Amino acid sequence: MAELLRVEDVHKAFDGFPAVRGAHLSVEAGRVVAVIGPNGAGKTTLFNLITGVLTPDRGRIVFAGEEIGRLPAHLRCRRGLGRTFQLATIFPRLTVFANVQVAVLARQGRSRELLRPAARFGVEETRAILEVTGLLSRADEVAGTLSHGDQRILEIAIALGSRPRLLVLDEPTAGMSPEETAATIGLIGRLARESGLTVLFCEHDMDVVFSVAESIMVMRQGRTIVQDAPEAVRRHPEVQEAYLGAAGA
Amino acid sequence: MDLTAVTSQLLVGLSRAMILFIVTAGLSFVLGVLRVPNVFHGSLYMLGAFVAWTVAARLGEGPGSLWAALLLAPLVVAAVGLVIERTLLARLYQREHLMLILFTFGVMLVLNDLVKLTWGPDYRSVVPPPALQGAVVVAGVAVPRYNLFLLAVGPVVAAALWLFTHRTRVGKIARAAAVDREMVAVLGIDVSRVFALAFLVGCYLAGLGGALVAPTTSITLGMDHTIIIEAFLIVTIGGLGNIWGALVGSLLFGITQSVGLLVWPQFAIVFPYLAVVLVLLVRPTGLLRSVW
Amino acid sequence: MVTVAPPRAPAVRRPAAWLVAAAVVLAAPAVLPPFYVYLGALVLVMGLLAASLNLVLGYGGLYQFHHGVFYGVGAYALALTITRLGWPAWVGILLGPLAAAAAGWAIGVFCVRLTRLYFGMLQISLGSLLWAVALRWYPVTGGDNGIHGIPLPAPLQTLSGAYVFIAVTAGLAFGALWCIVRSPFGATLQAIRDNPQRCQVVGIDVRAHQLLAIVLAAGFAGLAGVLYVVLERSVFPTMLFWVLSLEIFVMCLLGGWFTFSGPLVGAALIVVLRAFAGRHTEYWTLILGTILILLIFFMPEGVMGFVGERLRAHGRGAVGRRSAGPAAGRGTPAAVVAEGDGAADPGAGREAATPPAADDAGGTEVARG
Repeated sequence: MAELLRVEDVHKAFDGFPAVRGAHLSVEAGRVVAVIGPNGAGKTTLFNLITGVLTPDRGRIVFAGEEIGRLPAHLRCRRGLGRTFQLATIFPRLTVFANVQVAVLARQGRSRELLRPAARFGVEETRAILEVTGLLSRADEVAGTLSHGDQRILEIAIALGSRPRLLVLDEPTAGMSPEETAATIGLIGRLARESGLTVLFCEHDMDVVFSVAESIMVMRQGRTIVQDAPEAVRRHPEVQEAYLGAAGA
Repeated sequence: MDLTAVTSQLLVGLSRAMILFIVTAGLSFVLGVLRVPNVFHGSLYMLGAFVAWTVAARLGEGPGSLWAALLLAPLVVAAVGLVIERTLLARLYQREHLMLILFTFGVMLVLNDLVKLTWGPDYRSVVPPPALQGAVVVAGVAVPRYNLFLLAVGPVVAAALWLFTHRTRVGKIARAAAVDREMVAVLGIDVSRVFALAFLVGCYLAGLGGALVAPTTSITLGMDHTIIIEAFLIVTIGGLGNIWGALVGSLLFGITQSVGLLVWPQFAIVFPYLAVVLVLLVRPTGLLRSVW
Repeated sequence: MVTVAPPRAPAVRRPAAWLVAAAVVLAAPAVLPPFYVYLGALVLVMGLLAASLNLVLGYGGLYQFHHGVFYGVGAYALALTITRLGWPAWVGILLGPLAAAAAGWAIGVFCVRLTRLYFGMLQISLGSLLWAVALRWYPVTGGDNGIHGIPLPAPLQTLSGAYVFIAVTAGLAFGALWCIVRSPFGATLQAIRDNPQRCQVVGIDVRAHQLLAIVLAAGFAGLAGVLYVVLERSVFPTMLFWVLSLEIFVMCLLGGWFTFSGPLVGAALIVVLRAFAGRHTEYWTLILGTILILLIFFMPEGVMGFVGERLRAHGRGAVGRRSAGPAAGRGTPAAVVAEGDGAADPGAGREAATPPAADDAGGTEVARG
């Protein structure tokens, strides 16, 4: 299967503090890949580097054969990268419908259309996304009033609006109840299987990771320790020592 | 243009810069600690000038009256500022940033008219204390004694501020609160008292600036508008919350205005604004680091 | 509250109601005494100005502290075209908004590199530069006197004629603003207001959109400036002074800046109050300041926001759904986060979502206050 994303020896420091120093990652198209590691390992920074919120000091980021390390975030999105954030970042004053529609409009290249009403465009596509994510019944509610779990799902819906090839999720089930977590996992699994979406996510919840990931990359102190199939990772001595020692069995 | 004219103009510019610095330092300090750009800071400056006039007028012709004015006016202004902060401003700290700025604008409008109500629309003037009247000849140039006094006061205020924020306990706490107020609160310190103190210092400096400027210019109702714009601009080019930045910015402002007066008097007022624009285009976040 | 969900503002759709309203507005000069006609025209001018600010403020979330500059540029453009260039008034009327839009572009290009407070400060400094130039350039701009008695074409010389022209132009301008707000661009702009970083990763070039918003807003403000000249036949440097800009802010706040009609309502209230207060006292500034302070404490969502919330509460009372809209959110602690303004609120620390980005190729520096 073709490699969709490759991260090679990427480094990023803030005011001298090396958040990421030597991260490697390979994501094959159509797979679900997880990144794990203790707090402060650099996972979110890595995701910011991949999606363009930050630019790497060193190293390469190649997406679908194209070097994107220097591209601004909005252009990376146009190439097919979608993303959600660790804290639910939605558009709180807009309705649920509008939240997703904005992304659809951007993908359609209509975001600078001035004269015709927005209500005419992207309606079908928006409704389809809301249906897949289970938010259709809430379409007219103001996004800021949604529960935390629903806001995280809305985030995924917004990301889907840009029809990404690779969806990068930063701790998608953080702060969710067990039911919400199960629903989110189910959603991710469905998206991967039914639309062939490639998913890259990071998580602290090991049950989530091992239940859905096909390949796991482990980070520690800004470095990649290993990337392999789940069972191999579980048995890896350095991983056990650094991380799974207390949680895994 | 000859050297004496240039020197004379530059010295005037420098003393103007000292006043600007004192006022701006107060604004910047408040901005740094409370993160509020206080739009009525200029009104307090104006109030300081008017109060100084009143004190001098009440005390009559004696030599001490001007010194008393310089001492009392900033205290009065600081008290006014503290009252406003405790009763109204403090309730807004949890609100959206924009609301705080607009509130201070509202107070500026109110204070402006209150000053008009109290003192009337005519302009006032005040003479310097007798010891500081007249001029002294320095290197062939006649320099007003009062300007030399201002040139001395500026660094004294700078030093005092530095000592306050680096050598006293409350000052250090204020500095810490500027950078991370949650941490300060976690350490058991009442952050709201720190804010009140910082605000008090800021208002005092505004009043001091107003009292000091009183003998050099006519005391009018438009003083608040012009000074606040200048102070805002200086704070922005100096770095938000940075006192040394306020000094650098004030010097830049004062000197470019003098240069303007020498080179193109009709457009002298444009020069400092142009300088500010140039600085911001090159370094939008200010010459020195912002305190946050 | 303006959203892009299937529209539920039936009032907008009834053309008959609009025709009646238009007829009423246009008939005013025939019915009302001149002072009220003048006041009406002034309300429309200020309303347009406030509405243009709200495009970038309420819908765009930008701290446009010196919006008045564009108003002044438009006014001076018309004044100078007629008095200094000697060109026909119609040329000046077209040039006004264009010059203002150009100024908007020039100033905006530098300001959108920055966020919030810096954005506002840079704008004030650039605008003050223009004010200082206008104040001193006697031969061209009339210096601190401004320019008076600007000659206008015959139809515009009477108050009624000027009024009709202003009413029609302002009406069309409001219509255009309404279209823009409901368009995909309007939706995108609001999304940028709520969360610029999210927009970046959804493929939206935030700065380009903000710049477009500023240019549009500046153009409409310039149009308001032109209309003012049609009404008053004068220009003054105070039109470029920042205090006016803050007054326009107050109009938006008073009316409610999350609504479309808010700024017009706020402008109407301020203009009318000022006119009547001016007859009884010379302390209008005191009144304005007090109103502002009271608003901030008791009615931050403005008149229209308040009214809208009451209507919503009534409409949903039976169904039991929570009252939606920014007004409801504002009172609760969660609202501070929900407003997406984490970095701008003094109470909050840095946004925890991403580490402080020093400078990067495309991301907006959201975390900087």
